[in-house]
Amino acid sequence: MELFTPGFGLVFWMFVSFAVLFFVLWKFAWPVILDIVDKRADLIDKGVEYAQNAKEQLDKAQADADKMLAEARRKEADILREAEALKVQIIEEARNEAKVQAKKEIDAAKLTIEQAKKEAELSIREEVGAIALRIAEKVVRQNMSDDKAQTRLVNTLIDEIENQN
Amino acid sequence: MKKIIIGILAVVLLCLMSLGFSDAMHSNAEGSHGEGLPKVDPKEIIFEHLGDAYGWELPFAHHRRIPLPIIVYGTDGLHVFSSSRVAHGEQYSDGAATFVIPAEGENKGKVVELVNGAEVKPYDISITKNVLAVFITLILVIWCALSLVKWYKNNGNKAPKGFIGAFEAIMMFIYDGVIKSTLKENARRFAPYLLTVFFFIFMMNLLGLTVIFPGGANLTGNIAVTMTLAIMTFLVTNIFGTKHYWKDIFWPDVPMWLKCPLPIMPMIELFGIFTKPAALTIRLFANMMGGHMIVIVLTLLIFIFAGVGGYAVGGATAVVSVAFSIFMLLIDVLVSFIQAYVFTMLSTIFISLAQENPHAEHGEHEQKND
Repeated sequence: MELFTPGFGLVFWMFVSFAVLFFVLWKFAWPVILDIVDKRADLIDKGVEYAQNAKEQLDKAQADADKMLAEARRKEADILREAEALKVQIIEEARNEAKVQAKKEIDAAKLTIEQAKKEAELSIREEVGAIALRIAEKVVRQNMSDDKAQTRLVNTLIDEIENQN
Repeated sequence: MKKIIIGILAVVLLCLMSLGFSDAMHSNAEGSHGEGLPKVDPKEIIFEHLGDAYGWELPFAHHRRIPLPIIVYGTDGLHVFSSSRVAHGEQYSDGAATFVIPAEGENKGKVVELVNGAEVKPYDISITKNVLAVFITLILVIWCALSLVKWYKNNGNKAPKGFIGAFEAIMMFIYDGVIKSTLKENARRFAPYLLTVFFFIFMMNLLGLTVIFPGGANLTGNIAVTMTLAIMTFLVTNIFGTKHYWKDIFWPDVPMWLKCPLPIMPMIELFGIFTKPAALTIRLFANMMGGHMIVIVLTLLIFIFAGVGGYAVGGATAVVSVAFSIFMLLIDVLVSFIQAYVFTMLSTIFISLAQENPHAEHGEHEQKND
């Protein structure tokens, strides 16, 4: 059977071809391809790792940001509360200040008024004295005819004035 | 749309292939039968299509062949001439030597030298159809691999797409799935050989299924081809075998009476060294040849039935046969891959068995030293 007996020529050329094929691929193809595929696998692994890290960091950053935001909110509230307190305090102080000031003003006014009143009293007294003197002069002029009566009247008047004071 | 066109083309090609066969029938029948349907000699046709030839048949024209160079080393040295000079039983004289391809007898279909009327077989290293097909396979495999390398050079670390992407995917499937998982740390050392074997066989299988010119040679269904490949694996296995591997063959761990005084186990082990390549040879050869043979027989059935029952029966058989042929060819595409895969896998296992080390922990040190 020809089919089951290997032909010498074909075996010979198979060896030669296989040697050539093996040499070419071994030299120029397989190591290069395997290296590159390995490198790519490494790259992909690294990429995945990198992405995972990045995601973790992003999550962390997000959490940080949230925390900071909460902190800021809290601070804001504190500041507002403080401001409120300050406001109340300032108003209170101002009010007190105003009260004190007003009291001072009022006191000063009272003093002035008192003084003015005294001055007025004094001038009124002088005025009244003068008027009284004039009245007295007129009365005296009318009653100068009777010396006795005059003297009596003068004494009476003087006593009256003295009693008044 | 593209798929439909390819489908139609495939059907047309298959029909034309059948026409080619009918042409072949005619040429076989020429002269012997003048009337009715030509007689078919299935055995002749099957073996012609499975075997080797000095010329490459052109598609659809059985008698026209592309002549290929004949290279023979005869009684008086090397002779190189075109196979067209000895076609159709003609004798060719190159210097003092005369060559002929006998149509009958022991050397039927082979170039022989005529010395004083007797046929003398020269050393025949002609570029036959199969040899040319081996060369074409070689060029195609190198082209595939180098175009992938070139692609890497231009595109850096990106993954390739399309045809070379498929090439890379298959390559990594074999490397990761077969070579690396079996050979472990030795994978890189034997990967070049095993990958070469895989793609060589795979390409030869696929070319064998292609009906027109660059393909059509029944390469992996030829025992010379499979034997050469098996011998390669045999050489790699035994040349790189470890001390432990050889010790296991000549002095295995079995009861003393099994190896001394009668070396029963060593004999069996030694025998095993040679049955491994034999198994590799036969299984690839038989599988691929079987596939080709079934398709040819299915096609021949048309003509056999037509010879018995006339054109109507032949026509009816044609429909069934062509359908079965397409089915078989599609299965053969799958088989092409599986057989290349199995050959590579068995080679890997044989090599890994010869790489065995008794002390797995110290094994790595020894590996690095040798």
